[in-house]
Order: sequence, then C-alpha cells, then structure tokens
Amino acid sequence: MSTHAAILKHPLRVRMFHYFLVLSFIPLAATGVALFLKPFSEAAMNLLMRVHVIAGMVLTLDAAAFFVLALDRVVLFTKRAFTFGLNDVKWFAVLGGYPQKFLLRKKVPVPPMGKYNSGQKLFGACILVGGILLIGTGLSLWLFPHVIPHALAKAFGDIHLIAGLFLTLFLLVHIFLGIYMFDDFKAMFLHGRIPYEEAAEVAPLWVQGEIVALTDRS
Amino acid sequence: MSAEEYQYIENPMSVSRREFLSISGALIALTALPAAVVRRMAVKRNDYIRARTAGLYKDDTNAKVRVSHANQGVSRLYQDFLGNPLSEVSEELLHTRYIDRSRAMA
Amino acid sequence: MEQITKTFQAGEVPGIIIIDAHRCKGCDTCKRHCATKAISGMFGAVHTIDAAKCINCGQCLINCPFGAPYEMVDAVNTVVSKLKDPNTTVVGIIAPAVRVAIGEEFGMPPGSLATRRMYGAMHKAGFMIFDNNYAADLTIMEEGTEFIHRVRAAVFGDEIPGHKPGPLPQFTSCCPAWVRYVELNYPSLIPHLSSAKSPQQMAGAVAKTYGAAKVWSVRPANVYTVGVMPCTAKKFEASRPEFRSAFAHASKEQGAGSGTPYPDIDAVLTTRDLARLLKEMGIDLAKTPEAADESILAQYSGAGTIFGNTGGVMEAAVRTVHAVLTGEELAPLEFKPVRGLKGVKTASVTLLDTKFKKEATVNVAVVHGLRENITPVLDEILSGRSPYHFIEVMNCPGGCINGGGQPIPAVGSGWLGAMSPLLAWK
Repeated sequence: MSTHAAILKHPLRVRMFHYFLVLSFIPLAATGVALFLKPFSEAAMNLLMRVHVIAGMVLTLDAAAFFVLALDRVVLFTKRAFTFGLNDVKWFAVLGGYPQKFLLRKKVPVPPMGKYNSGQKLFGACILVGGILLIGTGLSLWLFPHVIPHALAKAFGDIHLIAGLFLTLFLLVHIFLGIYMFDDFKAMFLHGRIPYEEAAEVAPLWVQGEIVALTDRS
Repeated sequence: MSAEEYQYIENPMSVSRREFLSISGALIALTALPAAVVRRMAVKRNDYIRARTAGLYKDDTNAKVRVSHANQGVSRLYQDFLGNPLSEVSEELLHTRYIDRSRAMA
Repeated sequence: MEQITKTFQAGEVPGIIIIDAHRCKGCDTCKRHCATKAISGMFGAVHTIDAAKCINCGQCLINCPFGAPYEMVDAVNTVVSKLKDPNTTVVGIIAPAVRVAIGEEFGMPPGSLATRRMYGAMHKAGFMIFDNNYAADLTIMEEGTEFIHRVRAAVFGDEIPGHKPGPLPQFTSCCPAWVRYVELNYPSLIPHLSSAKSPQQMAGAVAKTYGAAKVWSVRPANVYTVGVMPCTAKKFEASRPEFRSAFAHASKEQGAGSGTPYPDIDAVLTTRDLARLLKEMGIDLAKTPEAADESILAQYSGAGTIFGNTGGVMEAAVRTVHAVLTGEELAPLEFKPVRGLKGVKTASVTLLDTKFKKEATVNVAVVHGLRENITPVLDEILSGRSPYHFIEVMNCPGGCINGGGQPIPAVGSGWLGAMSPLLAWK
C-alpha cells in the first residue's frame, strides 16, 4: 500500500455544502448575538437584521439543496451521528484522550472509532437537530410571527436563541479542532482527500468497514 | 496516482435500502409533522375570537329581554330622572363633544 | 414632548402603552396590528410608540409574541385600597366583552359566559355592580334617538326647535380608540360622530347622580366608579376632561363650590387587571358560585350584551330604531348581515316611519379592524359618495371581545388578515 494512498473523505457535494454553511453560519452567529444584545443604533441593528435574514436564506437554501441533491449523504450522516455504542461510553470516559494529550502531553488508549469519533457524532446530532430547529423557527419568526399563536411564537424565539447560542459555542470548539486536525481541514476546504494511514489510525473502524478501493470497482 | 488523486472511497452500499428509506422517511416526517401542526394552529388562530363572539350571542339568545327599549331599569331611569332620550338632563349627562387633535399631526 | 402635549388635553393620560426595550426583538409584529403607524423602529431595532399618534387600542400589546408592550396606567392597587375603605362605595362597571373572556384567566375555555360568577366574585371583593350592559341599553336609547332625528331631518326635512341634528352618516362613538382616531386624523368628520357618550361614561355619569342618590343613597363624592373594560383606550377615555359631567350636574343643582371636582369614572381596570385584582384578593372566579344582582343598574337586555361583538351596536340599534319607527319589533331579532368577521359588513333596512307615514331605506355599515378596513369607508364619505346612514366602527378586529385589555390567548393570534405570509423587511 503506497504511503501516498488517499481516501476521498469529503466528496465535492459535501464540500460545497460546507462552504456555504461557513459563509452563512458565521455571519448568522455574529449578527445573531448582536441582535440579542442590541448594542448598536437603529440603522445598524436594521442592517444586522438584514444580514441575518440574507445569511439565513443562504443557509436554508444550502440545507434544502443538500437535502435534495445529496440525500444519500444526509442519510449516511444521520445514521452515523445517531449510532451510539459501548465504545462511545468509553470514548467519553477519557474524552477522546484530548485533554490528556493537550494538557498532560500523555497518550491514553482510546477505543477505536468510525468516520466520526463520539464527540463528533454528538456534534453532528446537535447540528442536525439544532439546524432544523433554527431554520424552522427562524423562517417562522421572519415570515409570519403574527399568524402563529403567541405562545408558539414566544417558544420559537426562545428555541431560536438557545439553539443558536448552543451551536455558536459548538462552532468555536469545531473551528479549533478542525484546524488542529489539519489534514481534515485541508480535506474539507480543498481537495476532499485524507491520507490512508492517518485515517487508518484515527478512524480504524471506518477504514476497515466502509472503505473500498477504486480499482476494485473499475 | 489516478486522475482524481485518490484511490479509495466510501462504500456507497454501507447504507442498506431499508436503512435509507427509514432514515430519510424519519427525517422528512420529523420536519413535516411540526410544520403541519404549526400550520393547523395558524389556521385556527382566531378560534378564541369566534368563541367569545358566540358566548355573547348566546347571552343574547338566552336573555328574557332582548331589546334595549324594553329594559325596565332603563325605563325607570327615564321616568325617575332623565325624562326622555335627548332631554336636557340627558344631553348634560349622557352626551359629549369632541376636539380636533389633528394640528399636531405632521 | 411638545408634540405629545399637542394631541392631549390638560389632565389627560398622555399615552397608555409603551414598549419594554429589553423584551422587544424588533420583529415588526406590532406594526402589522397598528392602525395609526404610531410605532417606529426599524426591523431588527427596538421599537417605540409615538404617544401623539397612538390611539391606545392595545392591539400591539395583545399581539406581541414577546410581551414587550405594557400599560403604564395600573389602578389595581388603588382600587384594592378603595375596596378596603368603608366610607367608599366602589362601583364595578362590567363591560359586555369582559364576561366571555375573563374566565380564560382562571382556566375556563374561551367564550365561557361568566356574568353571574363575576357578580359573585365582585360582591365578595366589595364591589357594587353596575352592569355596563345596562348603560349599553341606555346608549341605544340616546344614540338611536339621535339617529332617528338625523334621518328624519335628512330624509323628511323634519325640524326640531332648538336642536340641530348632525350630518349623515352617523358614526357610533362607543369605541374610544376610534374617537381618538377621528379626532387625530379626520377632524372634518367629527360632526358625524354620535354625540352620545360611550356606555362606560354614561355609566359613570348615571352612577354618580341617579345611582348615588336613588340606588345606594350615598354622596356622589363617596362613589368610586371602576370601569371593568376589555380595553386599554378606556383608561385614556376616563381621563378626558369632558367627563366630569356628574360633578357639573351636582354643582348646577347645589350651586357653585360644592367640593372638589370628581371624574365620572375614577379608575379603569382591564379584564386582565380585574383578574389580577381578584387573584390578589384570593378569589378564584372559576370556583365562585354564580350570584344574581338585584340592582336595577344590573338589568340588561340581549341587545346590550352583544355590544361586545363587532356589529353588536348596530344590531341593537336596528332592533330599537325598527321598533320606534314602525311600532313593531324586528322579526327575527337576529340581524345576521352585521354578524361575522368580515372587515366591512353592510345591510339595508326599509322602515315605514309611522310618524311621517313614509318609507325610509336605511343603509348601515359595520367596520372593525381599523387598520385594514376604515380608509375606503372614510374616503367615500369625504368624497360625498357614501351610501351609508349609520356606521358602526370598532377599532379592534372582532370588536371589544378581542380588545387590547382582554386576556392574551396563548394558542391564538388576533391576526384576522390573510394566512399568507407577509415579509418583514423595512
């Protein structure tokens, strides 16, 4: 097996989805926090709201397009994100070995993981649920807050706020770890490829169980 | 190295047809069901107005006296005190005038 | 500030409703319910109410999903202290629409008729009952008679010595938000407003004259009148300096200098306020047994009670005007064309005037939801093409039962307009 061998981890459709997600979610999080705190003048708040609405539309269209054009990836992602087992309990018991690695410079044994480790799975599940909630409540509050019942609109506002803050906090961790795993970062933002050896080390179950060689098929 | 610069891909068959249908179905249902519930609540948003309206019409239907000019208490008030509608006392106590507040409007 | 004083008379409450900046999300829902464009603040920014333009209707308050608008005027504590004062006769004036909504604050379903429970609970709290439905019947007698005069003058050229009837169409004047709307925006139409006071103000004037003397046998100054209203604008109405007529009447009878002036209505509680007052006094309306009230000021007709619905004043007026002109009762008494939630409802009634032995066809219109529906009707009048003789106008969609002082429905919205979404942007 060549040391240059690579696995296509993030196909183009996924990378496109992720690009638009970055483009929309970061402005959404920033304007969302500002809209909650209301620190600026009337015109500035209005501008922020417009940016929030446009970015929200981009995110909604992005998510809808991905759902329609890449339903197979959505299903795969959902299946992975919501499949939990004993290994995940063990993983969370040592928090993936990350704190030990960062803080104590010590390597602890970590149970074998699939494409996503347990932390990423939890993150994925939260994004999936939180994203749907944010899109649904956001659209409702923008388009027809006066048509839906008052208590529901109030609940939508609260859900939008809590889910938004939750995912924004997650985003900070995600950015940090995403850049730390620089091969993954390049895979997501550039070419989609990840070296075979690294994948075999980080995600042994994925490489063993779900990866096939292209030559086998051609 | 291949033209696509990778040699391995994820096995597209790692999700069975059954899993595919149930997961995508669950996702669609979990999105569509709340949307349908919200829509239904929005359609019924004025029900409280209709209920209150019906409550007052029911009060009217069940009333023994259903026209103002047959209200004995009001007749007594006219006999004992006011005289008749638009009488001098009525004008004094029950009528008013209005003022032009428009000049402050831009 | 200067502008505010310009649209308020001395002594009037300068605005009832303000927006809590911390709660406002800038979602623009309130603007969609505002009839006078009194709310400013761009989409996404904190909104504020311009009191000079505001007609105090409270639709923003009951329709804001985030509970940001609130009332500045709150008389609950004052009324509680008056109820404890043995020298004060506290009179609760219960508006029609309150009885089918207050139950919601105590866990009863919307539309539950709670008149007798309210009597029981308010007796327990220490109120004398003056059912405002009685004053509604009184309003019909005055306003209906006024209308007959206007019609006879316009149609038959009838003249009453020393009395100049106003122009047609005649507007109802029960709704204080509508009255202020006309005063602010259409001063040329003021003569069209019925000169009859609203039922609340009639009740106050009657309570402090006839009521004090003949019903409760107390001095008018010791009568404390509390309007229990589905309405925030009634708080403004009660503060209008015109409404000191009981005091003026007493001064005229007894000569000048008869004590400190008192208003016809001392305090106004919204439906929500009364529910809060009862809860503070430990009275659960839902568990209060039904009670009757024998006072003549608690007698009311079915025509008085439907004042709370859009079209109710018109229906009550048609019943009485029909009987007065033709000498026969309207049959059936239900006048269906003015019922329902359509924005502008119209009807024609042909009446044989027994006095003039001639027929007159009266065209009536009922408007509710000022924001969406009033402008075309008023434009017709201004251009002289209005076919109507009598127009009932209520600011709130659905009438007083959906007033700004009513319990805020959790699983509902007061939006009567189309279901299709409107985009917030500006």
